[in-house]
Amino acid sequence: MATVTVIGQGSKVVGRVTGEGDLEINGHVEGDVEVDGDVTVGESGLVGSNVRARRLVVRGAVKGDLVGIDAVVLEAGARVVGDLRAPRVAIAAGALVRGHVATEAGARSSASRAAPRAAAKVEPRRVEAPRAPAARETTRDVNKAARGAPPATVARQAPAPVKAPPPPRKAPAPVVPVLKKGAKGALKKRAGG
Amino acid sequence: MASTVIGAGITIDGDLTTDDDVVIQGTVRGKLTAKDGVVVEQGGVVEADIAGGAMSIAGAVTGNVSSTDRVDLQSGAKVVGNVRATRITIADGAQFKGNVDMDV
Repeated sequence: MATVTVIGQGSKVVGRVTGEGDLEINGHVEGDVEVDGDVTVGESGLVGSNVRARRLVVRGAVKGDLVGIDAVVLEAGARVVGDLRAPRVAIAAGALVRGHVATEAGARSSASRAAPRAAAKVEPRRVEAPRAPAARETTRDVNKAARGAPPATVARQAPAPVKAPPPPRKAPAPVVPVLKKGAKGALKKRAGG
Repeated sequence: MASTVIGAGITIDGDLTTDDDVVIQGTVRGKLTAKDGVVVEQGGVVEADIAGGAMSIAGAVTGNVSSTDRVDLQSGAKVVGNVRATRITIADGAQFKGNVDMDV
């Protein structure tokens, strides 16, 4: 029995809305909406989480993912921050969307999108480059002990400056170390310049 | 004009707060707060405390009912909980278990 359910403009629901039948949201819903029927978010409607329905028509504001079994339709005036997924997705001129759009039925979208994002995360922060090129081994040891946290990084980083310093300005040995062109720059770069 | 209707087949798990009239044909679990009239129609199920204005109950209510106006328990209503209101009617055929508190 499909009666139309209306969440009026002056109404606020904090919690889940589930079941079957058509639903019209002109008020405020803060909680997942999962309805086997058509859902319309009216101009004054405000939904703060995911909505799943057979056919979803939005003219108001939604912050959450929209999943339509049949279709998702954003009409002029719609404001959506979240992903859209349905076999058919329509976005009318004047509708605002920020999110991922997929015209397909099927599995949840969030899982597949989480992976690449995690991979793109920035590498662990570099340990600060030693100031004095002729840094004494003792201080470094102290530093190392004090920092303690990422021993692997420190260990890898530490030896570089030891080799790096020679070029600077001690009187060079009579035989100039055989450095290929650009090697100095490369060394500096590696030292964290 | 009832601007909020919870149709049959719809379930709300959580709080429902409204400034206008509300008609319940479906199910509400949690808490129901209205400023105006509340109508629980036959087939409607409310497992929540209800606060509001004039109320007409023909469905099943489990929870305390508090009204600033009147409460009418229609025939076929099933109410388990305390009722607090200035006026109250219980129709023949209504089931009711609980206390009545009328401000005197």
